[in-house]
Amino acid sequence: MSRSPTDRERSVNQAFVRLADTMVDDYDAIDLLDRLVGFCVDLLATDAAGIVLGDARRELRVVAASSEAAELMELLQLQSDEGPCLDCFQSVAPVSVADLGDAADRWPRFVAAVAERSQFRAVHALPLRLRGQAIGALNLFDRQPGPFPERDMALGQALADVATIGILQERAIRRAEVVSEQLQTALTSRVTIEQAKGVLSQHFGEDVEAAFDRLRRYARRRNEKLADVAARVVRRQLDPDVFTPRDPSGRGPTARH
Amino acid sequence: MPELGVVTRALLGIARRGADERALAEAICRTCVEGLDVDGASISMLTGSDARETLCATDDTAQLLEELQFTVNEGPCVEAATTGNPIFVPDVQDTTDAARWPAFAAAVVEQTDGRALFALPLQWGAINLGVLDMYRRRPAALSDAQRRDAIGAADIATLMMLGLRSDPDGEDWLDAAVASRAEVHQATGMVLVQLGASAPEALARMRAYAFAHDRLLIDVARDVVARRLSFAEDVE
Repeated sequence: MSRSPTDRERSVNQAFVRLADTMVDDYDAIDLLDRLVGFCVDLLATDAAGIVLGDARRELRVVAASSEAAELMELLQLQSDEGPCLDCFQSVAPVSVADLGDAADRWPRFVAAVAERSQFRAVHALPLRLRGQAIGALNLFDRQPGPFPERDMALGQALADVATIGILQERAIRRAEVVSEQLQTALTSRVTIEQAKGVLSQHFGEDVEAAFDRLRRYARRRNEKLADVAARVVRRQLDPDVFTPRDPSGRGPTARH
Repeated sequence: MPELGVVTRALLGIARRGADERALAEAICRTCVEGLDVDGASISMLTGSDARETLCATDDTAQLLEELQFTVNEGPCVEAATTGNPIFVPDVQDTTDAARWPAFAAAVVEQTDGRALFALPLQWGAINLGVLDMYRRRPAALSDAQRRDAIGAADIATLMMLGLRSDPDGEDWLDAAVASRAEVHQATGMVLVQLGASAPEALARMRAYAFAHDRLLIDVARDVVARRLSFAEDVE
């Protein structure tokens, strides 16, 4: 996917304006991350993106993914206990793999798992940096092998930095001690959203991605936090039928509200 | 990244054999008191819609702090349960904290020797199972490492309690790596609709099914998500 520089510049500007727009008082960090992985796919011309965070037990957990396929890629690394994402998290530096086919020596378990269960060939991981440490990683996945374009490096890292700021919130970045709580809150929200996806998926007889789409649209339309809406769904305090009108235009940053 | 906290590590080593909720709560509280430099700890579980039962309190002050919160229905423990977020109060006599829970703060000062209060929700997604409470007699915040350890400990304690509830006779704890998988959460949401039950009940049914059919929970969850398995038709 190639774009003229002007188009691209406009898209980048729009994305950052929208992200900044989201980060007002008492915003929803999970919703921000969900938008952010969408922007990554649009702006970095990558096929899929995902974000993992380290929990209080130092284990990485998936907190946002642009698709279930991206989520699977994250999981394959976590299960294999190796891969670009883990190396990026540990080294606090970008790790770029142009072709996983050449990386079997470095990550044998991960490469074998990808070959068996996934279509992706190239993986690029960027650290979520905070005071010289990594709190997680942003991962970009491509079906075609190829290096991470030089011109996208700075933009990719900027998006990763927005994710860090978004998760920890300004207040937390200034006060070091609340970092672990913010991380825990984001991880708990993610579990809640997965549970709610299941509830809606069962209720409407559709796949979990379509269910997530309903959830996301409802929360954005009403300007409510995704995790709050999801919690009410799981506790059966919100009738699933309120989610009935489904916008046919699909997901993505361009389809806001 | 920092090292795994001492309490989190100690909890991972607790044996499942023969443990019931009360024994487990005691082990968790004791480990916290030893490892986090707090004077006492307690665990209260949500039993009904609003009812809470204190499973363990390591001393009279810890017990009284629980009773006071449930009586006035406010305080860090109640807030942790409602919001699902950990609540750390370095000094309950500090006016900003006291203003959040005026009745509770007044009662604590009047009736107990607790000064610093820490409440960790035992939170599984949308579901609050209970709260792990700790207190110090002196006004003092937990250090960064202690906070991280406390949060990690509550995370493990949640899975242990969830494991006991969903499979009382099992031999092993609910596998943390499996229990944090998206498919397990998604399947839990699907099965709770199929059964018209709560999320923990849905998980219990999946675990019982997995055990009865000698399968892994993650595989059962995958089958549910892929609609190869439904609990609506009263599977055995």
